[in-house]
Amino acid sequence: MQTNFTEDQLKDPAIQRANDILRACVHCGFCTATCPTYQILGDELDSPRGRIYLIKDMLENERVPDEKTVMHIDRCLSCLACMTTCPSGVHYMHLIDHAREYIEQNYKRPMGERFLRWMLARILPHPMRFRLALLGAKIGRPFAFLLPDARLRAMLEMAPKHIPPVSRNDDPQSFPAQIAPRMRVALMTGCAQKALNTDINDATIRLLTRLGCEVVVAQGAGCCGALTHHMGKVSESDASAMGNIRAWCTEMDGEGLDAIVINTSGCGTTVKDYGHRFRGETYAKDAARVADIAMDVSEVLMKLEMPQGSDQRLTVAYHAACSLQHGQQIKTFPKDLLRRAGFRVVEPADSHLCCGSAGTYNLMQPVISKQLKARKVSTIEAKNPDVIAAGNIGCMMQIGSGTDIPIVHTVELLDWASGGPKPPALTGDTGARVPQVPILR
Amino acid sequence: MQMPIPNPSVLANKHRIVRRLSAVLPKGSVLDDLMETRAYECDALTAYRCAPLAVVLPASTKEVAAVLRICFEEGVPVIPRGSGTSLAGGALPTADSVVLGVAKMNDVIEVDYENRFIRVQSGRTNLSVSGAVEADGFFYAPDPSSQLACAIAGNIAMNSGGAHCLKYGVTTNNLLGVTMVMMDGEIVEFGGAHLDAGGLDLLGIICGSEGQLGVVTEATLRILRKPEGARPVLIGFDDNEVAGACVSEIIKAGVLPVAIEFMDRPCIRATEAFAGAGYPDCEALLIIEVEGSPQEIDAQLARITEIARAHNPVELRESKSDEESARIWLGRKSAFGAMGQINDYMCLDGTIPVSQLPLVLRRISEMSAEYGLDVGNVFHAGDGNMHPLILFDANKPGDLEKCEAFGADILRLCVEVGGCLTGEHGVGIEKRDLMIDQYAPDDLNIQMAVKDVFDPKWLLNPAKVFPLASSETRRSV
Amino acid sequence: MKPENEAELAQMVANANAALQVVGGGSRRIGLPQDCDHLNTSLLSGITLYEPGALTLVAQAGTSVSEIEKALESEGQRLAFEPADHRALMQTKGMPTIGGIVATNTSGPRRISVGACRDFLLGVRFVDGMGRVLKNGGRVMKNVTGYDLVKLMAGSYGTLGVLSEVSLKVLPIAERAATVTIAGLTDVQAVRVMSAALGSPYDVTGAAHSQVGDSAQALTMLRLEGFEGSVTYRAQKLRELLAPFGSLDIVTDDTKVQAMWRRVRDVEGFAAKTGNVWKISVKPSDAPELVARLGADEVMYDWGGGLIWALAPTEIDLRAVMAGTAGHATLVRGEGFAKFHPEPAAVAALSAGIRQKFDPRGFLNPGLMG
Repeated sequence: MQTNFTEDQLKDPAIQRANDILRACVHCGFCTATCPTYQILGDELDSPRGRIYLIKDMLENERVPDEKTVMHIDRCLSCLACMTTCPSGVHYMHLIDHAREYIEQNYKRPMGERFLRWMLARILPHPMRFRLALLGAKIGRPFAFLLPDARLRAMLEMAPKHIPPVSRNDDPQSFPAQIAPRMRVALMTGCAQKALNTDINDATIRLLTRLGCEVVVAQGAGCCGALTHHMGKVSESDASAMGNIRAWCTEMDGEGLDAIVINTSGCGTTVKDYGHRFRGETYAKDAARVADIAMDVSEVLMKLEMPQGSDQRLTVAYHAACSLQHGQQIKTFPKDLLRRAGFRVVEPADSHLCCGSAGTYNLMQPVISKQLKARKVSTIEAKNPDVIAAGNIGCMMQIGSGTDIPIVHTVELLDWASGGPKPPALTGDTGARVPQVPILR
Repeated sequence: MQMPIPNPSVLANKHRIVRRLSAVLPKGSVLDDLMETRAYECDALTAYRCAPLAVVLPASTKEVAAVLRICFEEGVPVIPRGSGTSLAGGALPTADSVVLGVAKMNDVIEVDYENRFIRVQSGRTNLSVSGAVEADGFFYAPDPSSQLACAIAGNIAMNSGGAHCLKYGVTTNNLLGVTMVMMDGEIVEFGGAHLDAGGLDLLGIICGSEGQLGVVTEATLRILRKPEGARPVLIGFDDNEVAGACVSEIIKAGVLPVAIEFMDRPCIRATEAFAGAGYPDCEALLIIEVEGSPQEIDAQLARITEIARAHNPVELRESKSDEESARIWLGRKSAFGAMGQINDYMCLDGTIPVSQLPLVLRRISEMSAEYGLDVGNVFHAGDGNMHPLILFDANKPGDLEKCEAFGADILRLCVEVGGCLTGEHGVGIEKRDLMIDQYAPDDLNIQMAVKDVFDPKWLLNPAKVFPLASSETRRSV
Repeated sequence: MKPENEAELAQMVANANAALQVVGGGSRRIGLPQDCDHLNTSLLSGITLYEPGALTLVAQAGTSVSEIEKALESEGQRLAFEPADHRALMQTKGMPTIGGIVATNTSGPRRISVGACRDFLLGVRFVDGMGRVLKNGGRVMKNVTGYDLVKLMAGSYGTLGVLSEVSLKVLPIAERAATVTIAGLTDVQAVRVMSAALGSPYDVTGAAHSQVGDSAQALTMLRLEGFEGSVTYRAQKLRELLAPFGSLDIVTDDTKVQAMWRRVRDVEGFAAKTGNVWKISVKPSDAPELVARLGADEVMYDWGGGLIWALAPTEIDLRAVMAGTAGHATLVRGEGFAKFHPEPAAVAALSAGIRQKFDPRGFLNPGLMG
């Protein structure tokens, strides 16, 4: 596509990158077909092609973003289904991130909106604050009707009924391999996930150590920065990312790491992009080193060659998280692993479509998010599964709030099939439990 | 590209028109801010652009009728739009026009396996029509390359084809009926679940009329049972002429493949660099796919490979598995994207008699040297439908004009050797001014007379298909 | 009037000062017999171009179908839409011409699988009501350049123009053909069988149901064509698929198979019988119920039930009986009723408008199509 940046504008590496992305786009419109918001709204402006147009116009003319442009950009889930679809390899993710940053810097949102975003950015990436907020929400839920903003009400409704106690397994430490060590890996314990569900990290640690990994929780690693990144809050996001890079590089330079294991695919997409984000900066080399060994837990498990399990007599509906299938292009591994472990695996129709969770999207865009949830739940339920498996906490919360079918993380099933405890969601025991982990230091 | 001068009174009445349209449509279904309308300034042909007066996104036939009635009364040109994937600029607006997008209308209305048809709203995408019946073993046959995204509305407007139309035909051969809203808002049914017209075949002329006769809101489409299997074979040649002769002999031998695709060297190289499908580096590549029962497939492939071997191929690879089939098709399906990696491209779709293939390819490569623009050819060889992709740099002043001139020369050549300007993309804006190279004034006149009957005020997509000079008196009525 | 070439044809139409009845080979009596000049195109004859490797044939409109079929057969090809020969049915003589076939959009049993005559028509040259020589389409298989007047001309019965040249897509002749038959089915069962067969992956290229001879024994026929091994395999598969409906016989003798389908194609069963012959197009599943209330003497189903050939007493208005059923009925043989089914007002107005543009003086087969 033709672009109209001036020589001067193109001196800015960020604009140069945007120009390269835009030049690759041929405006064919294929992306509209798999864009969840276009499916629902039917407006070009709510499709990747339309957003690319809005962004192009905004950046070329260095325009102050207007309300409508912001609305359409905000409606993007960043599910990246368009990148899977695009025949021309347009890197939409970098473009929309750029636009979000530009909007954050050049657009003054209404007061309530700014407060909401400020609050989310202050709370979500910090597990302790988030846990407090969840407890507060639990108490505040009966008063939800008093809130003026539909989104605030949505947040209260979204808060889970059971909030697990802090898991000490998520503290910095090292878990030795149960058999002859094959790999030394760092587990990214995350932020929001460990406040909402401690079973996932526990299961991951059990499974990896059982298969011969020494699992390290690195001192100083925390939130990947995705939540703030998608709000365009660059400085907060960069600070989180740099903290991680420092923490993992220390481990890499110390006893060494074969992989950084991530079991929340939204974070995986972000960490794998660290190299690009910090290109040309002081941290570039370290950021790239981290990105190079960042892996989704399913990738590591494929390397470890899980043992073949016996028939579990259980039908698992695998929900492909967008960050996994589109962001990281990991499509078959989780299904292969589940089958290998002995589960019958089914997939809902339109598996490429987002469930509407998308980071903070379900909080910021509750109307569209609810429609996407309803679609996803109905396509999953049509397959009559015993359990739903997903590789991302956001999807688990979102889908779980719309169906009675239990939903678990893929690793919980894999752990169970290879000798671990039955996932709490399947035993009906969703209350507070003492986490079971082989060895605690 | 010359466009008519916008009607000043329409521009002056914008507020009233938008207010009236907003009154008959739900909130958010009328866009009139330039910030928003700009995204509708073109379709997949980005060389020509013009933001419309407004965009409307109706959700039902009734809403379409209400919109058209208002536009009829106000004398506003209407540009129907499906998914905006036209490579011919079929949905290019004018400044005084209302773009009528049907994307919100994407429901399946009825599926009838006993009588083998499906009825859908026209905004539904081509692939999702098949998607709706796939689980029961059926499919909708026309498969344009953009089938993932393109709407049935646009398929009907352009009478779209696809890779498999050698066996299954194009849209018109698979369309049983439509609900169409006339420019004055009247809703009319044409055809239905039964076959053939009871009088004049008006459905036949609606299909391919590029949105100039009415706005199709619902369509009844023929669905077919999926064949038991399909398998492609890949054959590489060192000579275009030999590849062409091979195609001709296969057809003469009584084998009817469902698809015969042809790629030339520049395209093969670009595709390999992009998708890495493992194609041989040769002058011409054929992908021939056959379908049917296992016996049918074996018998057809045996004949095809026998004929191909007699033509000394540099490579002959028969698919033995689904994975191999996918790999053989991978490069072909990535061809457009691959060429797009190299530079901007303009995609033509002239059709030629298959026998003229070697001559036309030779002439194109000579012209490529004369114009100094690279070109790659992908080609539905079974039916002579070419897809030359001319590479140019949209950011380089003068390159587009050079590309246009080159494209026009290629299309004139197609007509000269007994072919036509467009095989499946439609005339749109892109080939409008070349129509006089294919048709005499009387031939164009009788076509325009048909539009006179359906749309006497010439408000529907008026600046397309017919050269402006030819349609001027009609448009200024 | 018998023009010898297109220019002469144009001249004659341009010079006409009264209505003309357009006649090809005279086998189908296109146009109402009336006291006007006959414009006979039978001298506009000859195959202009035939490229077997491109599956295309161009011929002048007056070329006889038999000449075209002979040329095609020598290259192992055919007109796949199976043009019918209705001379016996219509009790006419003369030679069916390709122009007549196109003008009436006549297709045989294979229409259900490969499409109608109009689907194989690639291009036309014709002379309109003012004597202007016009062309549309061409000789290539894919062509969307401008409006598709080709489809409009097919089945326009000479009311929009006099065809001078047509170009057609042709297809290879199948190596083998076989008919799978089931005897004794009711109409409802027969349509179900045909629907099941046509909805199967076994590539059925003909599906008809009729009474045979005096025994009034119902016979349902399904045609398979292709390579020998494939036909045998698919016949077996159909036998399995349709087993719940009764026992199937498979006819493989080529002459017998040809004769069976010619009988369907040409509606031979009605030829020697008196009464009006109607051709009714409906959704197949509507057909048996419609037939039950038609009051016809005899019917034959083709196109999987989507086409009903009905032999009816001359006084019965089948269209009145049809009211409420979507579709249309054409009076193929007989008098007393309009030849074509009345159209809804909006459609009729558009058709009239188009006729007026193509033939402003109303000279071509006036009154035939409304």
